Amino acid sequence: MNVKFKLTTLVALVFSTFVFAQETYMLNGTVTSESDSMPIPGANIIVVNTTRGATTDFDGKFQIEVKNGEVLQVSYVGYATQSVTINNQQDLNIVLKEGNSLDEVVIVGYGTRKKIHNTGAIAQVKGKEVAAIQANRVDDALAGKLSGVLIQNQSGEPGADPKIQIRAAASVTGDSNPLIVVDGYPISGNLATVNPNDIESVEVLKDAASAAIYGSRGANGVILVTTKKGRTGKTTFSYNTFYSISSKYRDNILPTGREWDNTIERNVNNGSWDLSGLDQDILALRREMYRNAPDQVAVEDWLFQNGYTMNHDFSMSGGSESVNYFASMGYQDTEGIAITQGFERFNARLNLDAKLGDKFKTGLNVNGFASRRDVLAHGQRDLLRAYSIHPIFHTEASIAFVQQLDQQAQAIGLNPFDGGFSGGNADSETPMNASIYTLQPGDYAHDWHYGRNGLFGGSSNQGPAAKLLERDRYETTYFVNLSTYLQYSIIDGLDIRTVLGADLRDTKQYFHALSQADRRGEIARTSLDETNTKRSSILSETTLSYNKVIGKHDISAVVGFEFQNFYTTAIATNGTNLPNDDILNYNLLTQESIVVTERDETIARNSVFGRVQYAYDNRYLFSASLRRDGDSRFGANQRYANFPAVSLGWNMHNEAFWNSETLSTVKLRVSTGSLGTTAFLGAYNSLSLLNPSATAFGTGYLIPDDIENADLTWQTNTETNFGIDLGFLNNRFRLSVDYYTSDIEDMLISQSVSEVLGTAAINKNIGDLRSSGLEFELGALVMQKGDFTWSMNANLSTVETEITDLGDLDALPDEQFGVSGRGPVFRNYVGGEIGEMWGLETTAVVPTGELEDPTLSPNNTSGYSYVVDQNGDGEINEDDYVKIGQNTPDFYWGMSHNLRYKNFDVSMQFQGAQGGEVYNLDPLYFESQWGRSLRSDFDANDDGIADENGLFYDRNRDQTDHGIQDASYIALRNLTIGYTFNSDLISSIGLNSVRAYVAATNLFYIMGSDYTGYNPEGIKNFDGGGDTYKGPTTFGVQEGASPIVRSFTFGLNVNF
Amino acid sequence: MKKIVYLIVCSMLVLTACEDLDQAPDNIASSDSLTNFGGVLNAAYYYQQAAATPMAVMGDFRADNMEMREAPYTDFHTFNSNLTTSMGDQFFAPIYRNLYKSILSANNVIENSTDDTQIAEAKFLRALSYFKLVIVFGDVTVNLSAAPSTTDTSILVRQPKEEVYNTVIIPDLTDAIAVLDNSEISNGRASQLAAQALLGKVYATMGNYPNAEAFLGDVISNASSAGVTLVSDFSEVLDDGNSEIIFATQKSTTISDEYDFSEFTVWYGGFEDKALLPLNPDLITAFDDAGDTTRKDLTIDDDPTQLKSVKRNLGLESDWIEIRLSDVILLYAEAINENGSDTAANTLALLDDIRTRAGLGSLSGSATTQDEVRKAILDERRLELAFEGQRWFDLVRTGAVDAEMGQTINSNYYVFPIPISEINSSDGVITQNAGY
Repeated sequence: MNVKFKLTTLVALVFSTFVFAQETYMLNGTVTSESDSMPIPGANIIVVNTTRGATTDFDGKFQIEVKNGEVLQVSYVGYATQSVTINNQQDLNIVLKEGNSLDEVVIVGYGTRKKIHNTGAIAQVKGKEVAAIQANRVDDALAGKLSGVLIQNQSGEPGADPKIQIRAAASVTGDSNPLIVVDGYPISGNLATVNPNDIESVEVLKDAASAAIYGSRGANGVILVTTKKGRTGKTTFSYNTFYSISSKYRDNILPTGREWDNTIERNVNNGSWDLSGLDQDILALRREMYRNAPDQVAVEDWLFQNGYTMNHDFSMSGGSESVNYFASMGYQDTEGIAITQGFERFNARLNLDAKLGDKFKTGLNVNGFASRRDVLAHGQRDLLRAYSIHPIFHTEASIAFVQQLDQQAQAIGLNPFDGGFSGGNADSETPMNASIYTLQPGDYAHDWHYGRNGLFGGSSNQGPAAKLLERDRYETTYFVNLSTYLQYSIIDGLDIRTVLGADLRDTKQYFHALSQADRRGEIARTSLDETNTKRSSILSETTLSYNKVIGKHDISAVVGFEFQNFYTTAIATNGTNLPNDDILNYNLLTQESIVVTERDETIARNSVFGRVQYAYDNRYLFSASLRRDGDSRFGANQRYANFPAVSLGWNMHNEAFWNSETLSTVKLRVSTGSLGTTAFLGAYNSLSLLNPSATAFGTGYLIPDDIENADLTWQTNTETNFGIDLGFLNNRFRLSVDYYTSDIEDMLISQSVSEVLGTAAINKNIGDLRSSGLEFELGALVMQKGDFTWSMNANLSTVETEITDLGDLDALPDEQFGVSGRGPVFRNYVGGEIGEMWGLETTAVVPTGELEDPTLSPNNTSGYSYVVDQNGDGEINEDDYVKIGQNTPDFYWGMSHNLRYKNFDVSMQFQGAQGGEVYNLDPLYFESQWGRSLRSDFDANDDGIADENGLFYDRNRDQTDHGIQDASYIALRNLTIGYTFNSDLISSIGLNSVRAYVAATNLFYIMGSDYTGYNPEGIKNFDGGGDTYKGPTTFGVQEGASPIVRSFTFGLNVNF
Repeated sequence: MKKIVYLIVCSMLVLTACEDLDQAPDNIASSDSLTNFGGVLNAAYYYQQAAATPMAVMGDFRADNMEMREAPYTDFHTFNSNLTTSMGDQFFAPIYRNLYKSILSANNVIENSTDDTQIAEAKFLRALSYFKLVIVFGDVTVNLSAAPSTTDTSILVRQPKEEVYNTVIIPDLTDAIAVLDNSEISNGRASQLAAQALLGKVYATMGNYPNAEAFLGDVISNASSAGVTLVSDFSEVLDDGNSEIIFATQKSTTISDEYDFSEFTVWYGGFEDKALLPLNPDLITAFDDAGDTTRKDLTIDDDPTQLKSVKRNLGLESDWIEIRLSDVILLYAEAINENGSDTAANTLALLDDIRTRAGLGSLSGSATTQDEVRKAILDERRLELAFEGQRWFDLVRTGAVDAEMGQTINSNYYVFPIPISEINSSDGVITQNAGY
């Protein structure tokens, strides 16, 4: 290249710029949606045949350089692409059509379908709706938005997964988690793996016919997540950040010592309690302690705090004609509302798509995150159970007080407080708080320091701070999902596509308990536990798809096969006898103190599937699919099963005879399909495998957990859906109604059996469960006037279930689920719902004044209630049980409003559930029980009948309705108020758009009047106290539920 | 070009590889692949471990040796149905579950093994399991199969305890006596002597004292040739592997058993929060009344700020002694007395070795009637075998519950409640004990 050429080029460039400068100008425009007049952020604008492009900001605004005669093409997923020829316009308002738009598509498994051709029950949420409200994770953003999808915040802990249930429980035993498919790849995790800011759209396949293409994995419903892709045009950047402050919603559920003494005072004064029979010296000293113990701290005030969340997300997208990309990174750091809780996550995504010539397409999606989750290392219920009569950590004043109290107590003949507590254990290097006379300020305070032997009925446990702070529990996760595809267009409309991908997840669960976590400081009770689990799921899939529109015929078909392999390997290392608390290292433990457990499991699955979709003239719609699945978990005789589905639809409004502006859409849909589920089955549940274990005489082969069952097979769920979609006044108002029935046959049940058989339960296929539900979805553009628009969506869903058959049985064995005999009996019987809670009906609580000594422990109640002898046989036993509750709500609903006035936007998301109950175990602990006993004359002959009124009574902790509480709620899940800055101002500093917002989650949350816990949505779904949680059949017991969180957020969205 | 395209499209199909649905893990054994049943026999021993703590709590805390201090554990001291729900998970379900697992493992050995010694050991363990089940629960389900039917619930019907004694426990022990020798006794495995001792105890519990006398007498005469002798110092009677042990369930902290709660040493030692100062003052009185200072000092700490066992302060490694020579001698004396086989003086003289070791004089001559001798032996058992899980079962066997506990206790509460899950899961085929 010579100098001359360079110079010429330069001149030409300058000249050309000069030429353009004369003709091009900056065009300002807005893109809105026709249906609700809301701006569309992220819409793509390109100038045809140039490399110029732009993307709309959160306000739907864009700026682009144009010249007359050029053609702008405006597109957004789900909307019809629009072209505008430039003719000196300075401001351009582009209204994109959806709803009746012929091009709008919904994602279905292994493909898409035009929305007007859809025949299933598919709910769709757009990325902009997810982005419009501040949410820490995708599930939060979806809560209340979809009919038939119940998203329940079982825990307020940072990083905790909510329960997602789509329609009725598809399994009698096991979980309800739907299959999550991200960009066509079924991931092995949940929605936590997806950054909410990456989302383009979320589709939920609710009915069996839609989900049947996923066969056995689709029984709990399928959530299809589509992430953003890059678009041709200039690179755009987006930065989102927010900061939240959060706290628990409900306060002060437990009294302090001082408040308890006020209660004593009140009851004595009004004559409810007769304390004259008690030792007055002890009583006086006890009340003196309640009232005057210095530095009392309510455990609740210590445990809970203001938490915060800080979030940063940065993304960029763009592309050329042949390569598009979207890349994002995010960071989130949360400190929980309870001390020691936290969650920290880094995540990144890259979506890359490339065209290789005319025929080939390829792409790569990479999504990964690294997270660390710190959870309460000790149960919340047990931490809160400690009495708020002392400080958490001793002070000079409290030490002096307890020493003086001990002297006073001994002076009136009580045992020294140290009795039974002093000395610690021989193997402890640091016997903790061995005596109240060696306490130092800052030491943990325990109930026994206050004279639990005789003076009051306190806990012998260590104080709450020792329980929590001497333990540590966290989980770290490294997750990556890689998937790549190669697509070849054989002829026009016929494509072959192969997807190859892997999910890799590496988790470490860590726990330690130092010597002082045990009240005695015994090092035999210390522990250092680590479980390292590696899971991989490798999937390969090839599909052949055909899409063609021939005149009025719209045909699409897909056939494919898919293979998947799930491999889990885990090593759990449990150590004990920690030599000291300073350095925790397995190398410091003796070899005998370390136990290693390994796990090595493979699940394999083979599938073939096919589907035909057909539409005639946008009027008559048809879809049919078939999938054949094989799964290694089932018995050798029964591994393969077929899952067919068919659906029909009719767009009545497209008929020639239909001519109504008022009723602008009438669409009828009917579908039926069957799905299989593997439910709770583990890799080898159909085999009977001995567990090698160390025994005193060498290797022992322990009794297998499972009894071999070569006939163990798929549970089949056949579901029929009827739906109607209506649109009024040019679809300004829209109503969809769906009714479904679902029949589960060959239910996979983990049926309790006598332990004489060597196992507590065996896996079986028996019985039939029928469910049905009605779902309404309403959408409306309520008002549109000048700068003001107001749109709303509402939905309501009902679910009913009935067990119609249980093979040879009338009922499954009763299951008592709770903690140590507390909790209801769950009955599952033919004619009943799933998971009915049964127990004794109570009429009134036995007054606390009936206790021998009602002052003994703070928050004492009698612990007894009067109960009803239903069959009048003069005995209280399980024949007197009645149904006392059921957790599934009668209906649940959601409602969202979006308002916009000039630069302001407001969105509100309400959610509620009505008519479900929980069995709340916490009050059974909080209403103290230490040393409590009824007066001997209450029931002198101990026949279970109160002498003074002849009524039967029973302990609350036994199976009674005492623990049943209303789990209904109405919540304002989210309120967001945003302001978008004037674009002139913004562009002057080189930005495209800036929006600032404030948001509140759970600004109000109305709980049932008899609900006394922190979170009516909380459910205990882990095993404890010897009881085995078995999914929906034992659903509804609550224990130590982490509180509902209220948070306030300030956030910023910046595009440039 | 066309070729390349063709190649790529073909490779797309090949990339999708079929999975093998016959999956089984490499690191676990399948039950039908076994040829040597030694490992299964080891499991039958292993499951006895989880029965130790429930036996300890029932034996000493239900009786007048020890006391629970915190609700709901104090339900052990109220003789009503409260125990059923509150203590089921922690005590009755684990012992029930593990003993039936020991039985299943034993059944597997008995059915499938070709080794006579293995079979005889399995029979001993099966008899031991059923004996514990019967004294704890009364009538119980009998399963003698390695693979019992999962559908036929009639096999679960509780069999009268006499039936269990006569058709299972006695025949199994008789078979074990015939096959086993005493070569492995010091290694902690089942032996002929252990089977004889257990059978003697079984007969005594059944009230069949003549047979008890015969078998217990055999033990006493065979003991020394089997290497079993009284240890010279009472402080060593609970030491692991001491010469007095006839059979003990081996415990070790490195072998995690299927009992997830506090171990018996923790309960006895006053280290369990639910039973601080667990010593029942009645036991202090019993030692003082007997003028027994040596064993008292080695058994209990009666300091008001301590009130706990020192005899059991041996840590979590400590084995659970099922039967030792002192127990056999005391039972033998009991049988002699019940049978009237010898004079009161001679009967009580049988206890001399035990009392001498405790620094006490002979009881010979201190009691004359059968009742007095019975009471003297019972008292001696209490002091000698305190904190070995014996007391409650001794009171029930000798009919001394009301007299010793100082209250009238409905005989329904001589046994313990069947785990509720058993009644639920068998749809009532397995019934609850009366009163619970």
